[in-house]
Amino acid sequence: MSVIRCAGLGVRLGGREVLREVSLDLSARTIALIGDNGSGKSTLARVLAGLVRRTEGDLRVLGCDPDRDPAALRAKVALVLSNPDAQIMMPTVAEDVALSLRAARLPRRERDARVEAALARFGLDGLGDRPAQDLSGGQKQLLALCGAFVREPALVIADEPTALLDGRNARRVADHLLADAGHALVLVTHDLALARRCESAVLIADGRVAASGASFDVVDAYEEALAC
Amino acid sequence: MLSLYVPATGWLHRMPAGPKLAMLALVAMAVAALPSTWVTAMVLLLPLVLYAGSGMGVGRGLRVLAESVWGLRWVIVVTAAGQLIFLGLEPAVANTGRVVAALLVVNLVPVSTPVSALLDALERGLAPLARCGVDPGRAALLLTLTITTIPVIARLAAEVRDAQRARGLRPSLRRGALPLLVSALRHADDLGEGLAARGIR
Repeated sequence: MSVIRCAGLGVRLGGREVLREVSLDLSARTIALIGDNGSGKSTLARVLAGLVRRTEGDLRVLGCDPDRDPAALRAKVALVLSNPDAQIMMPTVAEDVALSLRAARLPRRERDARVEAALARFGLDGLGDRPAQDLSGGQKQLLALCGAFVREPALVIADEPTALLDGRNARRVADHLLADAGHALVLVTHDLALARRCESAVLIADGRVAASGASFDVVDAYEEALAC
Repeated sequence: MLSLYVPATGWLHRMPAGPKLAMLALVAMAVAALPSTWVTAMVLLLPLVLYAGSGMGVGRGLRVLAESVWGLRWVIVVTAAGQLIFLGLEPAVANTGRVVAALLVVNLVPVSTPVSALLDALERGLAPLARCGVDPGRAALLLTLTITTIPVIARLAAEVRDAQRARGLRPSLRRGALPLLVSALRHADDLGEGLAARGIR
């Protein structure tokens, strides 16, 4: 099944055309969205996550139409933002991860077990009772990932998840995102080395798809364009 | 998000969130219903006894009480000043004492209850409203986020004051109101996006 399939997708925000005539059919497990600031890649990520409604065209994300069936999309898709503070809602680390499972209405014991397993997976075990705001920037982003992955989504959409991190933490976060753990990934990034680690890439320029295909080819094309 | 929760293992902390919420709400209402006389000011002894005897340890309980009173300093000043001007000394002391005592008693709920337990208790308590079309889960989450966002707004206000100082301006309420409103609205946007990002509608 295609991860993303869209035809003639367009988005207008505040009277401005942010995306136009976007047509894609991508089934790779890891997909990078690259392009200049303001090119429309973050808007595309938000459209895919169901946070922004399209104004024209057809769109299916894992077979779901985000505008017509948002509940089905929410069950399959998790979004990770560049600023983890925007995603941390609860006072302690464990409570924050558990918040993601509220909608599933799991028995407390199962909920606690899943939270514990997720914290261990992201190297946050032993920090469950710590105030979330006391974590370092890297730990906060790992917590945001933990909150996203604990729901076991089929697709993770990450909008510049490493932008605010140092090299070591950026690598840790990227390794978790790119690991083959049964999820697909759409990664918005300015880090071209990270984009090359994805299977395929899409270059967005002025709200349009400028190139798409194997990540090495698309990143090379973008670097050539930057050199001109 | 920030929490007022103080970890401890005393009787108040061990008490289930629902009954605790109901008990402290009843105490606060009883305090609020007292007459406006000099004797009523004695009601301020109640939070003193409750904080010291809540099982956090006497010293720690009193420290938490002192921090809570400091947090209410402007409420105390404004309430007392208003009452003093319009009603006189005795009602001013009695009414301010009642308000402060009630707020301090209610403050024991977040102090002694983890936010997740509070959220569960609120959801259970609001369940009957489902018949009227209210989603108890969403309503409980809204109330909980409201409680945990209050300290965030205080932090945003401090950031606005720091920004004013950094530009060589004296912090002022008039100049700070608009940037604080913008910051609060931006935070609300982030919060909404963060909830959606986690699959919470």
